[in-house]
Formats: sequence, structure tokens, C-alpha cells
Amino acid sequence: MKERSLLLVIFAALVLTVGGYLAATQLHLMPVQGSTRAVEVDRLFQLLLGITAFIFLLVEGALLYAALRFRRKPGDEADAAPVHGNNALEILWTIIPAAVVVFVGVYSVQVLQDIERPQDNTMVVEVVGRQFSWEFRYPADDVTTGELHLPVGRPVLFQISSEDVIHSFWVPAFRAKRDATPGQVSELRITPSEVGRFPVRCAELCGPGHAGMITEVVVEEPDVFAAWLAETKAGPTDPAAIFTQFGCAACHTLAAAGSNGLVGPALDGIGTRAAEREPGVSAQDYIVQSITDPGAYVVPGFADGLMPRDFKSRLSDDQLRILVEFLLAQ
Amino acid sequence: MERMRSLAARLRRPAPSWLRYFRWNTDHKVIGVQYIVTTFFFFLVGGSLAMLVRSELLQPGVDLLNGTEYNRVMTNHGSVMLFLWIIPVLAGFGNYIVPLMIGARDMAFPRLNALGYWLIPPAGLLMLASFFVGAAEAGWTAYVPLSIRAPDGQTLWAVSVILLGTSSIMSAVNFLTTIVTMRAEGLTIWRLPLFVWGIVATSVLSLTATPVLTAGLILVALDRVAGTQFFLVAGGGDPVLWQNLFWFYSHPAVYIMVLPAMGIISEVFPVFSRKPIFGYRMIALSSMAIAVLGLTVWAHHMFTSGMDPRLRVPYMVSSMVIAVPTGVKIFSWLATIWNGKLRFNTPMLFAMGFISQFLIGGLTGIFLAAIPIDLHVHDTYFVVAHLHFVLFGGSVSAVYAGLYYWYPKITGRMYDERLGHTHFWMNFVGTNLAYLPMFLVGLLGMPRRVADYDPSFTTLNQLASIGGFLLGASVLPFLWNAIISWLRGPVADANPWRALTLEWQTSSPPPENNFERLPVVTHGPYDYGEAAPRSPEPVPSPAAGE
Repeated sequence: MKERSLLLVIFAALVLTVGGYLAATQLHLMPVQGSTRAVEVDRLFQLLLGITAFIFLLVEGALLYAALRFRRKPGDEADAAPVHGNNALEILWTIIPAAVVVFVGVYSVQVLQDIERPQDNTMVVEVVGRQFSWEFRYPADDVTTGELHLPVGRPVLFQISSEDVIHSFWVPAFRAKRDATPGQVSELRITPSEVGRFPVRCAELCGPGHAGMITEVVVEEPDVFAAWLAETKAGPTDPAAIFTQFGCAACHTLAAAGSNGLVGPALDGIGTRAAEREPGVSAQDYIVQSITDPGAYVVPGFADGLMPRDFKSRLSDDQLRILVEFLLAQ
Repeated sequence: MERMRSLAARLRRPAPSWLRYFRWNTDHKVIGVQYIVTTFFFFLVGGSLAMLVRSELLQPGVDLLNGTEYNRVMTNHGSVMLFLWIIPVLAGFGNYIVPLMIGARDMAFPRLNALGYWLIPPAGLLMLASFFVGAAEAGWTAYVPLSIRAPDGQTLWAVSVILLGTSSIMSAVNFLTTIVTMRAEGLTIWRLPLFVWGIVATSVLSLTATPVLTAGLILVALDRVAGTQFFLVAGGGDPVLWQNLFWFYSHPAVYIMVLPAMGIISEVFPVFSRKPIFGYRMIALSSMAIAVLGLTVWAHHMFTSGMDPRLRVPYMVSSMVIAVPTGVKIFSWLATIWNGKLRFNTPMLFAMGFISQFLIGGLTGIFLAAIPIDLHVHDTYFVVAHLHFVLFGGSVSAVYAGLYYWYPKITGRMYDERLGHTHFWMNFVGTNLAYLPMFLVGLLGMPRRVADYDPSFTTLNQLASIGGFLLGASVLPFLWNAIISWLRGPVADANPWRALTLEWQTSSPPPENNFERLPVVTHGPYDYGEAAPRSPEPVPSPAAGE
């Protein structure tokens, strides 16, 4: 009897260890690794996956075994043998988890220090969140844009803030996230390691357009990045690009720009509707007013106060003119 | 003459007994039933809102609900489930069971107890009525400044939660006073049933943490209606301050929602295994340890926010340490059923379901506490899955276990086992099907609280929706069972489970003053299998109402 339970324990320990090892090495649950940080975070994740798989199999296995093995025999009304506890066992299952927790804690702190260590040659990118779009500024080159491009291999320091409510800047491929909080600048460091296009999402509920507050980060070779930066410095002149980069697409549906936001009024056909909105206001004046002073006239059925009030200062005169002409033609 | 006689007859006849559940009544058993039935109604409301959420997420694109409607439905789903269902339903169990378990005739402050209950229906109506004026739409966390910009319903929401917090503080005072001063003779603290220990730990947390939330909500309401700027940057306020106030309550609140649930599990296992609980003192002490540690972990919800980076590691450590007392409980429960003589009545099934699902919630909590991983999974569906495994797979399973376990005591009737088993299996499959895919979709990049998602996440969301609908349907056999058995079920005797705790040593349902004679306790609550199974001996006691 004793021998049998000893064999059982050895067999169970073997199964659990193999299960934990397989979980740590074979289960891949994370998206692509787009940064050096992702590699380190994933290593910690896989280790935790192995440890927790071991505990999971241990507890669920014991539960299942007990359910099958210790079922009451029909007609047996007697109580089981009274066991009130076992000090050695209780100390053991307090100390072992405590030791595991200390180990995981120390390892986590090491990874945290590694991924947040300042690097030489770091490029600063300012990130500004607004309902419901992102804006990116490259202060060294005096460029402001709605697209995020990064050169592969160069450390980046994001300085993140918000102009209205709290947002959260998240790039799943980088395994990195930081809240954009009004009134403060938060920092986030990563080094992109893979060329490609990766989604950027808002992770903190920020209002009705939260789900659509998405853009992409384009990681490219340094020379391609430099060319993009020079081109962008001149500012976008393509009307659909302006529409997308300044965040209009997040809230407004417009076929010509390929957008399908539902937070604000749809803009297909706005060129004809604009003249009828306010008596005595021409279509052109109405569109200019809607962009620069969105509270002046609110389309029935839509909430006031959601559209940013600062397009007058953010759009250059040329960009505003291009955008208005583009909308008049819809 | 004829009229006089019938009037006299009507006056003599007592009002139908069910009517007392709709009136002001200070009997803790009536109040307990009022709590449980009212909160179950809100559970159905919160569940219906969840069905809307899962319908919207059945496919990508905004189809059933637009962004604003989705945020309102999602916000009220969370708020109703937490503030109007899981916290008060556990208080309802406490009300019904604690005085019986400690051999008392009622709670210490019966009128305060009734007041605590009667705050809940108006608070619930306020929260739901907000749908008519633009419901709360900033999530149950109500992060500022979003919650300050939200429409009028957000003010109603704040007032509702303030009322519910007040109710919660009232019952905490009442529970602690009752348990400290009104225990039966011989019921020393090391003979207290573990459910009572759970209620003690929870009440300590409610008293410490709930006032902070209530104060914070008053500041939010002032920012909204009086134009103060406690949380607005423009006026020198700080949005992160709200997060500190909110989580100082709302993380301990998780333990408020879990500790009594763990207490229920500790009652069910010994009875249905016919064995003493394993490691009684360690389980009792671990509840207190979780309560104390639980007050020190709140900022692990803020690793991605603007808090001082140096503060993160201490909060990570305290969060991870909670795994130790939690592990003690789980291992002790396993040791309790080990070598037992297990009976798979419905309460036992739900208790085993509790362990298997709460374990998943607990283990994934370690991932969330590890800061480097949290910086990826925070605010994603990974968190949604984690909290539902803890609160639905855990707490709600325990509530179901308790509802079935104490059903014969409360109603005097026995429920139907076959319907109970059907309910359990639908619930078990539904829980795992609904919430396991959410872990994956969160890791892959789906944020929480979105009405729309990337088409690549469609399959996982559809699985979750099917699981969700199964959970919705699983309530039907339960409701049918609960209603039909109360009306027509076989009459239950005083102690159908042959349990040793005091609530079973009186009739089912118990008489108005609980015990014909107050019991004297001479042994622990779980002495199954001892040579002479001793039952608490009733001794003469002063008449009721003394």
C-alpha cells in the first residue's frame, strides 16, 4: 500500500514536470515579437506559464482523482476517518509557494530593470492622445504627424500625454503600454527589432470611439525612415492623408478616405448637404466652421464636445484649404 | 353583523407569511431572504446586459450597439454585477446564516440591518433609471476625467454607489458586533465556523476601505454638479488621485467578494466529504492574512498609469504574496476531500467547480502582478478573463453552492437534484467556454471595453459568446428548480445533510427566534468521524424576546 502511493507520487511528479516543461517551451500564445523588450517579456511569460501549468495540473489532477477515487460507496453512511491536519504538510505548502513567489518576484524585477534601462542614441517621440486619434511628434526634426514610423534597431523613448481624457498607448508587438494622462508626461522605452507594420491601440476606455482609436507603427530600415521623415516634414498635401492623419477618420465615415467611424456624422455627400445646414451660411463657410469651431453647429443626434477644438492651430492654412476643397467635392 | 364577523375574522387571521418579505421587517432571516431574492433579480439584469455585450461582440464591426450604447451597457453590466449582486448577495447569506451559526436569536442591531437592506432597492432603481437620462458610460471604474464629462446618468450612478457603500458599511458594523458579542455559550473563536471567519475578514475590509470609495465618489459628484476641480488638471486637480482612491477600495472589494465565498466552500467540503476540515486554523488565519494584505496591493492596477515608478515593485511583491494564503486554502480543501466519502450533491459539485475555476483566476493573477507582463496585458481581455474566473467562476459558483446547500434550511423544502446537476454542468461548460478564449484574445492584442475588434479575433470572440449564451441559459433550470421546489418540493427535515454547525440544529425553516433553547457548544464545527458524533446540546434558556 505504502509502495503504491509512493509510485503514484513519483508518477504524478513526472507528469506535472513534463506538463510544465511543455507549457513553457511549446505553448506560444503571444503575438509577433517586434522589439527587444518583447523577447525578454516573453521569456518571463514562458517561465510563469511553465510554473503555473505545473500547479494547474497538480490541483486539477488531485481534484479529478479525488472525485473518481473517493466517491462514497452506495449504502455507506459512516463518516470518513477524522484527520484534522498535518503540520509538516501545512508548513510545506506555505513555504514552497512562498519560495516560488520570491523567485518570480526577483526575476520580474530584473526583467523590469532591463527593459527600462536608458540606452545611448535614443530617439525621442512625443505621443499625444485625443478622442479618438493619436498624434506623434519628432521634436529633434520638428515634425508632427498622425503616422508613427520608427527606424529598426534604434532605441526610442516615447513621451506620452493626453489633451482630454485618459488614453493608453499600446503596441502589442512591442509588449509595451503606458497611459496617456492629461497634465503629465509618461515615459516608455522600447527598441524595435523587426521591420514591419504593427497595430497601435488605445487600451484605456476613452469614450464612444475608443474601439476605433487604432493606428499602425511602421518599423523600417534607417534610410527609409530618414526619407519618410524628410517627406513628412513638408506636411501632407494629399487630402485623404490629411483626413486620416489628423484623426478625422476615427470618427467620420467617408468612402473617399476609406473610413467608417460612427462617432460623428458621416461625410459622404457633405458637399451638397453643407449648404443646407445653416441658413445664410455657404457650404464652404459651414465646412470651415465645422472643422475650426465644431460647437457652433451640432448635427442633431450627435453629442457636442467630442470633436477636438484645436484643429485651427494644428492644421496649416494650406492643409485646411485642401481639406475643405476635398470635402466640398464629396 | 355578518360584516362585523368577517372583519373580525380577517383581523384575527395573520397576514399571508410571504407578505412580510415585501415589508419593513427586522427578523434577520426575512432580511436575508430579501437580500438574496432582490440581488438575484439584479443578477438577472446584469446578466441580460452581458447577453447584449456578447451579442455585439459576436462579430466584428459595430452592429447591434453603437459606441455610446455599448459603453453604457458594459458599464452598467459591471456595476450591477459587483455592487448590486455579488457584494450584497454575500451580505444576504451573512444575514441569514451568521446569527444561526453562532447560536444567536438575531443580529445585534436589527433595525440597522433592515435599513441596510432597504437602501438597496432605491439604489438599484437609481442606477437602472439612469438609462433614461444617458446612463453612466465610463466603466465601473469611472476613471476621471471621462466620468466627469459623461451625461447626467453618471451622477445617478455615483449616488447609487454611495448608497450601496453606506449599506455595506452598516452591515459590516452589524456583523462584527454580532459575532463579537452574541456567540452561544462555548463558541470560542477557534470553534467559529469558517463562513463566520470569512464574514469577519470581509467586514474588517468593508469598514476600512468602503468609506474611502464613498468619499471619493462624493468628490466626483461635486466635480460634476458643483464645478469643483478635485480631479481636473485645469483646476490643479489630479486624475491619478481618483485611481488611488478608487482602487484603495476596489481591490480589497475583490476580497470582500471572495472571502465569504471561500467561507461557503469551507462549509460545504467537510459536510459532503464526511471529514473534518483540514487545517482549520490555517484556513481561518489565511482569511485574515488576505484581508490585511489585501489593503496593501491596490496600486497594482496602476502599473501603466502615471504613478511613481519606484512604487511599483513593493506593490508587485505584496500582490504576489497573496498567492501564499490563497494556496493554503486550496491545498487545505484538497486535503479535506482526500480520503473522504464524497457525495456529489449539487452544493458539492459547485464547490469543486469553484476550486477548478478560481484556481485559473488565481494563477493568472500572478501574470498580472509581474510588472513586465502586466505592461502588456493590462486593460486587455486577459484581465476580463482573469476577473471573471475569480468572480464568476469563483464567487458566483460559491453563491450557487450556498444557495443549494442552505435551500432546505431557508425554505423547509428540498430542491431537485437532477435540475441542480443540469444547472451545474451548463454553468461549468459555459464558464470555461466563455472566459478561456478571452485570455488568448487579450494576449494577442484585443483591449477590453471595445464595441468592435480586429477581424482576426472573430473565432475566439464567437466561442466566448456561445459560452456566454450558455451561461445565460443555465439560469433557467436554476430558477425553475428554486421556484417549483419552494412551492411543491418534498419537505426537508431540520438537518438533511447531517451537518454539525448550529444552523442545522434547529427546524427548517427556523422559528422566529431561531432556537427553542439556545445551544451550548462543546466541540468544533467539523468534528465528522469522531468516536461519538456529538451534537450541540440544547439547554434551557430565557424565553424569546428577553
